[in-house]
Amino acid sequence: MTTKLKIDGTTYDVTVDEETPLLWVLREYLNLTGTKYGCGVAQCGACTVLLDGKAVRSCATNLKEIGDKEIMTIANKTDPLLKKVQEAWVEEDVPQCGYCQSGQIMNATGLLKANHNPSEKEIVAGMNGNICRCGTYNRIKNAIKKINAGA
Amino acid sequence: MELSRRTFLKNTALVTSAFIVGFYLPVKASAAEDTKETNRLKPNAFIKIDADNTITFFMGQAEMGQGTYTALAMCIADELDAHWEAVHFKASGIDPVYNSVFGPWMLTAGSTSISTKQLEMRQVGAAVNLMLKKAAAARWNTDLSNIKTHNAEVMNLKTGDKFTYGDLVSDIKTMSIPQDPELKALKDCSLIGKPTKRHPSEAWAKVTGQAEYGVDVRMENLKYAAVLHPAVFGAKIVSFDASKALKRNGIIKIKQIPNGISVIAEHWFQAKEALNYIDVVWDKGEFAKISTKDIRKEYDALLHTPGASMRRDGDTAKAFKEAHSIISADYEFPFLAHAPMEPLNCTVHHTGDSAKMWTGGQVQTVYQKVCADILGLKPEAVEYNNTFLGGGFGRRAAANADYINDAVYNAKNEAWPIMTLWTREDDIRMGNYRPMYKNKARVALNKHGDITAFEAKVVGQPVVKDTILGFLFKDGVDWAQWDGLTDHPYSIANHDMQAHSPSSPIPVLWWRSVGHTQTAPLVEGIVDEAAYKAGVDPIAYRISMLEDLRCIKLLEDVAKISDWKNRKKEKNIGYGVALVKSFGSIVAQVAKVKVSKNDFKVLKVWCSVDCGFAINPLNIENQMISGINFGLAPTKYSEITIKNGEAEQNNFYDYLVTRISDAPDIQVSIVNSGDKIGGIGETAVPPIFPAVANAIFDATGKRYHSLPIKIS
Repeated sequence: MTTKLKIDGTTYDVTVDEETPLLWVLREYLNLTGTKYGCGVAQCGACTVLLDGKAVRSCATNLKEIGDKEIMTIANKTDPLLKKVQEAWVEEDVPQCGYCQSGQIMNATGLLKANHNPSEKEIVAGMNGNICRCGTYNRIKNAIKKINAGA
Repeated sequence: MELSRRTFLKNTALVTSAFIVGFYLPVKASAAEDTKETNRLKPNAFIKIDADNTITFFMGQAEMGQGTYTALAMCIADELDAHWEAVHFKASGIDPVYNSVFGPWMLTAGSTSISTKQLEMRQVGAAVNLMLKKAAAARWNTDLSNIKTHNAEVMNLKTGDKFTYGDLVSDIKTMSIPQDPELKALKDCSLIGKPTKRHPSEAWAKVTGQAEYGVDVRMENLKYAAVLHPAVFGAKIVSFDASKALKRNGIIKIKQIPNGISVIAEHWFQAKEALNYIDVVWDKGEFAKISTKDIRKEYDALLHTPGASMRRDGDTAKAFKEAHSIISADYEFPFLAHAPMEPLNCTVHHTGDSAKMWTGGQVQTVYQKVCADILGLKPEAVEYNNTFLGGGFGRRAAANADYINDAVYNAKNEAWPIMTLWTREDDIRMGNYRPMYKNKARVALNKHGDITAFEAKVVGQPVVKDTILGFLFKDGVDWAQWDGLTDHPYSIANHDMQAHSPSSPIPVLWWRSVGHTQTAPLVEGIVDEAAYKAGVDPIAYRISMLEDLRCIKLLEDVAKISDWKNRKKEKNIGYGVALVKSFGSIVAQVAKVKVSKNDFKVLKVWCSVDCGFAINPLNIENQMISGINFGLAPTKYSEITIKNGEAEQNNFYDYLVTRISDAPDIQVSIVNSGDKIGGIGETAVPPIFPAVANAIFDATGKRYHSLPIKIS
């Protein structure tokens, strides 16, 4: 069946089984490959996108759960907060292999949308679902602390 | 690789509008293969300059997070006087010119990219720089001393005239390449030795989702495959019924391949879901009776029999007989999966008498040959494309090429390009683990508390035997069994060290820092116990047994940055130290750990590193942080256990790894000793295991010898 999806300011019609997780629709039907597969069971956060501004795991979010919610991915070029997070990531020299960073950045963006000035404790709690095997966590913490999300 | 082995530099005019320079480095193969390759002259490309002044560096080393693209590019760009922000990178194709120090194939491993390639990259940059200056001098009819280069431009200091490098492409194309270009003095370098962030082109690609990993390759008509693998190691398929699976949406084809049953579909999720609808009759084989406790029993028995000798000197029997005291310990380390964030994948398009493949691999030449062999082609008929690697840690240099095999068999004789993607469960359950080890160590102390004899026994499946690094398996002993143990840095007069190499259907593989993952906790654990027994401060005790001044200096450095002398005695808080030489570098760490009931948390790690000279200090700091956080996973959580022949773990919910809440504060100090440049990517991993274990002892008075540490 055909589903309408609003992704990063563009509306797409996709014809796909509505039980399909959003992750695979993004990656294979729309070739938006910036959103990554890491575990398939919402354990690692590599697939994180924002649904109406809230971080969700797209590997465990079926198409039918999305409704008319706006989807924001790492490919978004207009969101000012996402841009700030990306700049902070480069500035703090966060990415190593980089594979998890799409998810880390989207999760951090969701965190900062809800809380402009998170404490260290809130950063750790908010980012604990996102695994980075390169262990860039220390840099991630620094990057998030530097972002002025309120401005 | 020695500089003197370089034979010539030669230019190649492959593209008329561009200049490409490369030079031939004779391959330093394993001793047996040192003949033919050495005399073969084949220039190849490292630098491409286009007429529009676009400068591209070709990278033979794989970028898997360790920062190699940036560091090697710094070496070329600095000498070339390129405009740093403006240079481009491209993964090279396969050519012997990019071969590794280990043998006649491209390999990114053993923390060798910078130590073995940096000088050559500087020379390439310097040679082209000199050619550009000469070309400009000829055009201006002036002396070389009146010429300066900066940001990819040549300037005439007398007239102020300028050429871009691109302007001079046609002039230098026919010029002979200088054989011994002068390198910059380190003080004149603008990049080398300076903390340099990851190159913006790579960094921005990675923060915007634009970086292409193997799993992101897309092309017309691409199909996807998932593979049903046996759960029991070594199990075989007797028969299977895929009729239900074939009826599902999007399924194109289901076929048996050597490693399992493959489902090819329009989309990967369809293929993966269809796996659940295949009925298989397995011949599980003998290993289905085996569990971790059986392996443990087998290894325990081996510990009590003589093994292959790894090191024997002096008279240990006498030393133990005369010992004032003896310390002995038993260690157990489990199988470990690498679990890189990007699940394993490879895309292959078989087009009759040729093929193309795409993957992020650490061992390009070998993967190309695996593909060619399966398809019955010559290697040169297979176009290999390397992407970014979403983590490697050794897993993407698979000795048995497991996931590559799957991908090639899936695509063999098929009409479409096919991406084979393993699930995370495949990654965790299919082996190629760091081996399980059971070790034993014993040291004799004299009345002053000095160690007079060191006995050790290592039991674990060999890693390099029967692989391309097989030459590192010698006299019945595997490199991963002795590395860091027989060559420990301490002055001890008597040794008896032995190894056993049991076998099993579980494939094992090098895992970030390889042998040091099992030798560091043993050596640095028992030395710490000896210090305690001797009643001497653990850092002072180590220094008293060391002759290597670099090691001594590094321990002094880590003592200084951690303010070791003034560490406070607080309840449930402990401090532990460890020093490990690995991959040509030395790392010393002090860990501060808080122990609570059934748990512990590493609060802070001070880390001093001496890799001779730090090409990119910022990346070295990043790699120290990376290695510590990576090493904390098996210190605290990760283990693969076997039950009835299967791995008991499946995914990140039961194969636990370090998360942000586990990451300690980390302070890094770089000591530039000026010694030979060593490796970095793996070197921070080994010391963290014993540093934490020693800190837990300091806090609790209890020694934990095995990993992961389960506080009881």
